[in-house]
Amino acid sequence: MLFKESLISAISSIRSNSIRSFLTSLAIIIGTAAVIAVIGIGSSAEKALEESIDDLGGRTLYVAPGQNRRGAVTKGIIPLDIKDAEALARYTDHGWEISPTITRNRQVKYGNANINQRIGAYLPIHFGVRGYELESGRLFDEDDNLGRKRVVVVGAKIPTELKTSSRNILNKEILIAGTSYKVIGILKEEGSTGWQNPDEELYIPLLTGAQRVFGTPNVDSINVGISNDVNVDEVMMSIEQILRAKHDIGPGQDNDFRISDYSQFADLRRQATGIFTLLIAAIAGISLVVGGIGVMNIMLVSVTERTREIGLRKALGATHRAIMLQFIVEAVLLCVIGGLIGLCFGISILWITSSLFDWPFALPFGAMVGSITFSALVGLFFGIWPARKAAKLDPATSLRYE
Amino acid sequence: MIIKTTELKRSFEVGSETVEAIKGINLEVNAGEFIAIMGPSGSGKTTLMNIIGCLDTPTSGEYHLNNKLVNELDEDELAGIRNKEIGFVFQSFHLLAKNSALDNVLLPMKYAGANIEEATIRAKHVLDQVGLTDRMSHGPTELSGGQQQRVAIARAMVNKPSILFADEPTGNLDSKTEGEVMGLFKELNEDGQTIIVITHEEEIAKQSKRIINIKDGLIESDTKI
Repeated sequence: MLFKESLISAISSIRSNSIRSFLTSLAIIIGTAAVIAVIGIGSSAEKALEESIDDLGGRTLYVAPGQNRRGAVTKGIIPLDIKDAEALARYTDHGWEISPTITRNRQVKYGNANINQRIGAYLPIHFGVRGYELESGRLFDEDDNLGRKRVVVVGAKIPTELKTSSRNILNKEILIAGTSYKVIGILKEEGSTGWQNPDEELYIPLLTGAQRVFGTPNVDSINVGISNDVNVDEVMMSIEQILRAKHDIGPGQDNDFRISDYSQFADLRRQATGIFTLLIAAIAGISLVVGGIGVMNIMLVSVTERTREIGLRKALGATHRAIMLQFIVEAVLLCVIGGLIGLCFGISILWITSSLFDWPFALPFGAMVGSITFSALVGLFFGIWPARKAAKLDPATSLRYE
Repeated sequence: MIIKTTELKRSFEVGSETVEAIKGINLEVNAGEFIAIMGPSGSGKTTLMNIIGCLDTPTSGEYHLNNKLVNELDEDELAGIRNKEIGFVFQSFHLLAKNSALDNVLLPMKYAGANIEEATIRAKHVLDQVGLTDRMSHGPTELSGGQQQRVAIARAMVNKPSILFADEPTGNLDSKTEGEVMGLFKELNEDGQTIIVITHEEEIAKQSKRIINIKDGLIESDTKI
């Protein structure tokens, strides 16, 4: 009952000084909003990253052409080509999936539409590795690839880009760089991964691409898909051995290719995000503490203003504890209300950012509970002194305070 | 006997000087009395009221309230006595501005830890007694001075105190409402309530049954009417 009385008294006190209360809790509002927004954005970004890594299926190593140096002399880029990929594919000890890619932008025409679009030449396994699903028609297969067939599978947004519909374009011929290709399949919408948009790409068989569209056996990169239980270091060594042998690189000479691990990037990025989040959270924490000092300041003013009220309450039988409780509840309430307003702001910022970058939106429950609890603790800590000051007032003198 | 003081003294430090506000007061009050304490400003009557109202403690001497020595009790015990044994009525009413009449009257019972339903019934009953049946949900700003003082009297009476203290209760009221408030005190006294009124007005004092004059920290006269 006493607690309820304290709560009612606190609410009426905060309401009757609403502007002052708002300004007092502004630092708490900003602090909480910052904590929620930053931690939420951090975890959304991380989730987006994880989703795009999951899209790659298990773990993927990435082999790209590198600089060929003999001694100190750079001899230009030595390309990776389809034969390198074939050499890797012949080696089956690690159960890896070799997926070389060539991607370039080319003119694509259909009817009146004429667009410059990303064309990717892949092996049929690429769709499986990426987990892309078919909306209608069929995917190209090994026969299409070996036969260098003029077939194309298009991303979900391509029909619209070509000013037509999925139904109309299926099994029709479109022109890619002036040559006619048959649209055999349309993919389901995948959504952007943040790096590229699979919905806006046209997919052709690797050998078709190499021979007919791009006129080069050189590939941009070779993705090596491995399952999670395979030792990455051993895989890297195998790739190195095979490619060094293929490129005829003697002992003591540097590799003319680079092998990188996507999950290494991910780890680095996660680490950077973590440090950044921690930093902002620390600043926000300082802001909350500064807010607490503001609350303490205004509570001291409030105690002085309400000296007569305190005197009266004591005359009516309020104990030391009852007066303490009243002012601590008020300080905590001030901070918690500030925290809740900040929470709403923080979630709004998070929601806007997530939709802007097309990241998954998730409420950071830990940060929400944590920051409200922290606000309450700030109120409790900084409320103690003013409350004690109030409780220690002498009833006889405070009743006559002007 | 409700109140018995023996050689009650209270001094204050003012700068480097010690000022004796009351210098040895011996006072006995029996149940059912209606006393007026009079005296000019600075006579010590307010200090005396603060001590027997348990808002302050004497520097020396003894104070028995209901045969209990109270001048050695700690702060929270004094708060308990103020809550249960003493009802205060002040010149400036001292109502909580944002609370209704009913909530103001409920406050002492909340500090007593009473059950809310029972407390509400009791508070309504007391407000009824002071003639505010239809004003219970009004806030102080919606009440006249006389009505506010009656809320304050109801609040003072709600825990059935041994003594009702009134410090210049009519100081802020016009003569008509002054008569009403004093009439209410007389009624309460007739029902057996012990009342001590502090005043500097002869007219008010004459309505009591015993007038005590204080001068320079000592009882100058003590007359039964």
